[in-house]
Amino acid sequence: MMPDISIILETLLIVVKAFIVTMVLFVMPLPLTWLERKIAGHIQVRLGPWRVGPHGVLQPFADMIKLILKEDILPYKADRFLFVLAPVLSMVPAFAVYAAIPFGESFKIPGIEREMTLYLTDMNVGVLYILAVSGLGVYGMIFGGWASNSKYALLGGLRSSAQMISYEIALSFASIGVVMMANSLSLVDIVKAQGGSLLNWNIFYLPVGPIWFAVFMIGGFAESSRIPFDLPEDEGTLSSGFHTEYSGMKFAFFMLAEYIAMVTISVLSVIMFFGGWNAPFNIPLPIPPIFWFVGKVAFFIYVFMWVRFTLPRYRYDQLMNIGWKILIPVSLVNILLTGFMRIG
Amino acid sequence: MGDGFKIFELVKKVLFTDFVKGLSITLGYNVSRSITHRYPDEEKWIPYRRFRGLHTLNKDEHGRELCVACELCSKACPTQCITVIPMEDDTGRGIADRVAKVWKVDLVRCLFCGYCEDACPTRAVRLGREYELACIDSRCNVRQREELLHPQPTPEAFEGGVVARATFIRKKRSIKVKADLMNTKKRSI
Repeated sequence: MMPDISIILETLLIVVKAFIVTMVLFVMPLPLTWLERKIAGHIQVRLGPWRVGPHGVLQPFADMIKLILKEDILPYKADRFLFVLAPVLSMVPAFAVYAAIPFGESFKIPGIEREMTLYLTDMNVGVLYILAVSGLGVYGMIFGGWASNSKYALLGGLRSSAQMISYEIALSFASIGVVMMANSLSLVDIVKAQGGSLLNWNIFYLPVGPIWFAVFMIGGFAESSRIPFDLPEDEGTLSSGFHTEYSGMKFAFFMLAEYIAMVTISVLSVIMFFGGWNAPFNIPLPIPPIFWFVGKVAFFIYVFMWVRFTLPRYRYDQLMNIGWKILIPVSLVNILLTGFMRIG
Repeated sequence: MGDGFKIFELVKKVLFTDFVKGLSITLGYNVSRSITHRYPDEEKWIPYRRFRGLHTLNKDEHGRELCVACELCSKACPTQCITVIPMEDDTGRGIADRVAKVWKVDLVRCLFCGYCEDACPTRAVRLGREYELACIDSRCNVRQREELLHPQPTPEAFEGGVVARATFIRKKRSIKVKADLMNTKKRSI
């Protein structure tokens, strides 16, 4: 028996959407590396990439060619299987997260009367899924550090596992507050609960909103192991941490995972605290919601880079202190406060 | 250091005032103009007159060579990179009847100390403002008299200490950055 034509269309649509999202994520690090180096340059009163193409925009392609052509070194006595597996393990969860992330609400395609949703799935456990899957990425780092047969890499892997465990808790607790506001774990519902105007955004739910956001953002910096929390790849003490022994495309996969993690944290903070694709105030112009979404995410990506070239790296004991002694108690108290506020 | 001070410090920490201060400084730099010289594509630094670059051999206003091949420059040279071979000439090539048959300087050994221009009794040898001395062939490290007699692109009268608009000229045997001295600007560093 032939299945219904609409089911086939639906399946095809999902496959096409998944393909587009994956392709966009694969290409995303190219402009981001360029942007990062450009911002680094301008903050340090330099120009940044300039020679390859106008304003150096073709620099990422030159880097890509270099990474592809580079020799793929396998260290002596390295664990061959884990060494190859590790970059994939750190990359796949970073992509898998996007199965649950909404980029906008559904809209009608003009011409054919069909609903089109701007997300792959609207999971009813979206927040939980994202936190769980993005936590899996740390296995890539640990395996990479272990399999490299190098002291630096092993120490980097250990550090990354300790850091991820400490900050995952704070990150999850910070999102519990948002879940309490929307009474739902679904990200689409969380965004819908913040609709209306600027004052409905979770960040403006005083006094607890800014504290959620601060805890979430600090945890996010640590989760994506960016400066000031890039202890797993601390150049000063570990040469470059868990990916010391990696080169060529395997190294590129680790970088890809790191950049996508950064985008994920930006997207999550926009969805959970800054109203997702909702406009900040009523504008009579017909601006598509995706514009607001992309604009907010771009701002947060800039913040990530801006912070990177402002703050120095924390010491390892400071990192642990911030995680366990400050962020976790603060977020616990914050959940209590939110509960009381929701009753009242 | 009373309790009030401690509370003040705590409030400052909670409000991330230090972070905000740092971030505002970097944002200020992010939007400010870059100080990079776009050398060699668009700009070129024209040094001050005191700069000691490639040697020039000067001529007087009648076009006669000032060099009298007295060999004082090669005697004064601490690295012995200047070779002077004199000869007799009364056709009016130089200001006296003794001119240089060979006057060459080995730029690999030269340390641009300027002793040769101090030693020169006729102010024939000057260290000019030419600093692009790289080439593709080791023979061109020795510069001959004929080459040094050509006037340098930056005239002595030009003040210097500015960034000039420039064009990058790429030839088969050499590259050159040609500065436009009419289109210059000062740049504060």
